[in-house]
Amino acid sequence: MFKRISILLMMSIFIALLGFSSGVLAQETVEVDFMTFSGSGENLEYLNQMKDEFEKENPDIKINIITVGYEDYFVNLQTKIAGGLAPDVYELNYENFVTYAKKNVLKELDKTIDAADFNKSQLNEKALNAFKINDNQYGLPFSFSNVVLFYNEELFDQAGVDYPSSDWKWDDSLAAAKQIRDLDNNIYGIYQPVTFWEFYKMVEQNGGSIIDTEKNEFVINSPQNIKTLEYMINRVQESNVMPTEAQLSGMQDWDLFKSGRVGMIVTGIWAFPDFDKNIDFEWDIEVEPGNTQKATHFFANGLVMNKDTDKSDEAFKWMSFLSASKAAAQIRVESGWELPAITDQDILDEYTEKTPPENRQAVFESLDYLVTPPVIEQFAEMSDIINQQIQAARDGLKTPKEALNEAQEQLESTIEIN
Amino acid sequence: MIFYNKKNKYLSIFLFLLPSVLGLIVFGILPMLGSLTLSFSEWDIISGPPKLIGLDNFINILKGNEFWRVLNNTLYYIILYIPLILISSLSLALLLNNKFKGIKIYRTLYYIPVITSWVAGSLIWKIVLNPQFGVLNNLLNFIGLQGPGWLYDQTWAMPGIVLASIWKDVGFFGLILFSGLRGISPTYYEAAEIDGANSWQRFKNITLPLISPTLLFVIIISLINSFQLFPQVMIMTQGGPNGATQVMVERIYKYAFQYYKMGYASAFSWLLFIIVFVVTLLQMKLQKRWVHYES
Amino acid sequence: MNHNKLKSGIIFYSLATIIAIFMLLPFFWMISTSLKNSGAVMTIPIKWIPENPNLDAYKRVFNIFPFARAIFNSVFVAVVTTLITVLSSAMAAYIFAKFEFKGREVLFSLYLATLMIPKQVTMIPNFLIIREIRLLNTFTGLMLPSLFNAFATFMLRQNIKTVPDSYIEAAIMEGSSQFKIFKDIVLPLIKPTLATLTVITFMEAWNRYLWPLIVLTDRSKMTLPVGLSLLNGQYGEQYNLLMAGSLISIIPMLMVYIFAQKYFEKGLSVGGIKG
Repeated sequence: MFKRISILLMMSIFIALLGFSSGVLAQETVEVDFMTFSGSGENLEYLNQMKDEFEKENPDIKINIITVGYEDYFVNLQTKIAGGLAPDVYELNYENFVTYAKKNVLKELDKTIDAADFNKSQLNEKALNAFKINDNQYGLPFSFSNVVLFYNEELFDQAGVDYPSSDWKWDDSLAAAKQIRDLDNNIYGIYQPVTFWEFYKMVEQNGGSIIDTEKNEFVINSPQNIKTLEYMINRVQESNVMPTEAQLSGMQDWDLFKSGRVGMIVTGIWAFPDFDKNIDFEWDIEVEPGNTQKATHFFANGLVMNKDTDKSDEAFKWMSFLSASKAAAQIRVESGWELPAITDQDILDEYTEKTPPENRQAVFESLDYLVTPPVIEQFAEMSDIINQQIQAARDGLKTPKEALNEAQEQLESTIEIN
Repeated sequence: MIFYNKKNKYLSIFLFLLPSVLGLIVFGILPMLGSLTLSFSEWDIISGPPKLIGLDNFINILKGNEFWRVLNNTLYYIILYIPLILISSLSLALLLNNKFKGIKIYRTLYYIPVITSWVAGSLIWKIVLNPQFGVLNNLLNFIGLQGPGWLYDQTWAMPGIVLASIWKDVGFFGLILFSGLRGISPTYYEAAEIDGANSWQRFKNITLPLISPTLLFVIIISLINSFQLFPQVMIMTQGGPNGATQVMVERIYKYAFQYYKMGYASAFSWLLFIIVFVVTLLQMKLQKRWVHYES
Repeated sequence: MNHNKLKSGIIFYSLATIIAIFMLLPFFWMISTSLKNSGAVMTIPIKWIPENPNLDAYKRVFNIFPFARAIFNSVFVAVVTTLITVLSSAMAAYIFAKFEFKGREVLFSLYLATLMIPKQVTMIPNFLIIREIRLLNTFTGLMLPSLFNAFATFMLRQNIKTVPDSYIEAAIMEGSSQFKIFKDIVLPLIKPTLATLTVITFMEAWNRYLWPLIVLTDRSKMTLPVGLSLLNGQYGEQYNLLMAGSLISIIPMLMVYIFAQKYFEKGLSVGGIKG
């Protein structure tokens, strides 16, 4: 038996070493390595369509797509960069983009853009500007999303409430939520997660902000902000139009909406394909209500270039194709894979005409009120601190005032604003 | 133990240890030394090589509140988990060491949680532990007790994590102890029965001593593992509520890969290492008092 | 007497079955979820019986990445890793258990020390080492670290320590080489522990996904857990696909466990050496 095992062992090692030798590469084409998280899973099919289209137009460039699931993407990317193996082009979500750009890891694109004669007006200005740091362009928008108010028309009908309109304010949505909540013990009025991503935007809806950009300091515990947090928490703790964590018990918010148990939900437009496929009742969207003003969520994934790449022209061709070409945008709209950040009216019309939801125009209306989150290097630490405090308030463990005061203290002592 | 001669003995030692020790040096010690260097450095991984900063990381960690707070949380977990896992896995091993018909099926069933994903496990446990309609609180109500808020309560969240961890690990350690039980020759029990010993005496005087080497292994490994508690905390509570389930490795992961402070994370890890090392050393010294090796 | 046996039998079976059902609840949920459509998967209260049970998730999982290829890779990696680990650790454990030499305890404590450092901070150094010896994106580079396994060495050392010295010394008197002693005396006596270690090592090698994720970049070299991790997206996971893939992934581990069971029976019968 031992002999058999050692033979097996030797054979296995031999086979393993065989796998070590790689094939011969054709050297005429330039290979561009591209790493992405949003193009993994089932979206890879659409990304491959984009790649085929690009390689047809650029036969001397070959794109090597590396997909990694979102949760492990950044660990993987960082490890590669540490090992000197950064991909030529890669995707970053907005918060990491800010950090990478400030740490000088990305290639500054202004010269490349000029050299390639790239027409910046193809791209939505707000989206493009979001990927500038100190007036230098460091990335191109890959996809573009925002967050709107979804509502269940049937529940509204049952409760006898008028559908949301674009001039709704907080009070209006709260009133509607209360009436829907009264329908049944198991039915809630609204769901809007108490997280940093919602909080930063809601404070602006109430005329406040997390950072005072002129004085360059944190102002998270300002009176308006406390009022904002109180509004968010009371929906859970007082009127209970929004479920507590215990009442949710691990159920996902989308499932809550899809199963008809909540009247309104504030979530991203990337929900369209899923809701389209899996919801039986009539639903629609509206611009999110504000208070003293409207403020909607800016959500974009960007494409960046490795500072040390030796294929910057080819890499830029690929980046700009993905970001701004009509062909790529077409594939996106047809497959329902998020929104392209381009200004081409044909494409935008095509997007608006697709239903559901009927009111797709609200997506573009929301773009008028976009606010970007605070752009600082220690973004992740900041959002974790704020999350922990506001969620403690959400769960009734401290008052909104205490939560924001503690957040202010922690932010001041651990975060540098730069 | 006697050998042919010194040359044969040392040649055997060298040859038998070679593959393992080679791996130890290259993939064990070397990376550890690497991380030790990092602990004296500042490194965000992506923007260039590490920069040495001396003891700053260690000073900042020990001066702050966070280290002591998460150490406290980790110790809270350990105090509850270790006794429970030892008792439950030993009981399971004894239970499965019987000749009942179909015992093999049960052995397989009890192993399944070990290979079940935490995604599935955490969802079920969140429901079981739900304060209002969960199974556990309903049972407690049945016998007249008021169940706590479990994962939504700062004091009871960690015990909830302990329960979920026991579910996952009892099959694992139970299997190891079971294989230890299997190594006990039945002649001992036969002799004891002839002497008229009852089952408690058999357990105390035969089973326990003879399984003590394996038991030591289980104690040390479960201690080392519990100091490094991580996946279930990330999936079930994300460190909440209000930081009550933040533990050492959760912080290390965040500092290393999300806050771009790999140097700080490494220093944190080495402080953890010192604690675990001391605890393990203690266990190894104490073993002389209760562990029996046959010779 | 029979009455007592019957009573303890019933108690045993009822207890064992209740515990078993409780432990298997998440497993049942996995099965149920894998048969659901991508609709409302995580509903509370749990819908144990899916409305339209179908194998759609399984079909789609096979299409999302080279699933069959990934299974093959996983089997290959897990089998070879287990062989390497068990063999090299058993050899080292034999020395630590039975041979005395200067520095033995220090060396052994180095083994234990490696278990006490969180993998999060040694992963990148390990990666850089594999890169230096030019074994990135190879199965060799993936599996080379398995030559060393402190857990396995420790577990086997404990067990080999319980083998009576007299058996080994008798064989030395008869002129056997150390290799023969190791193969014909020590190994057979620790069969249950070897079987357990095989099960555990196989499971850990099979489930590892962070290390293969960063070492292997070729899609064709992907292992199953790595493939499944591609399913987690920015906006949430498709649980039905994930559970379908995970269930398929569980099967080989279960098979190894069931296969190893027969070695638990053999353990006792080897004590036939006169001593």
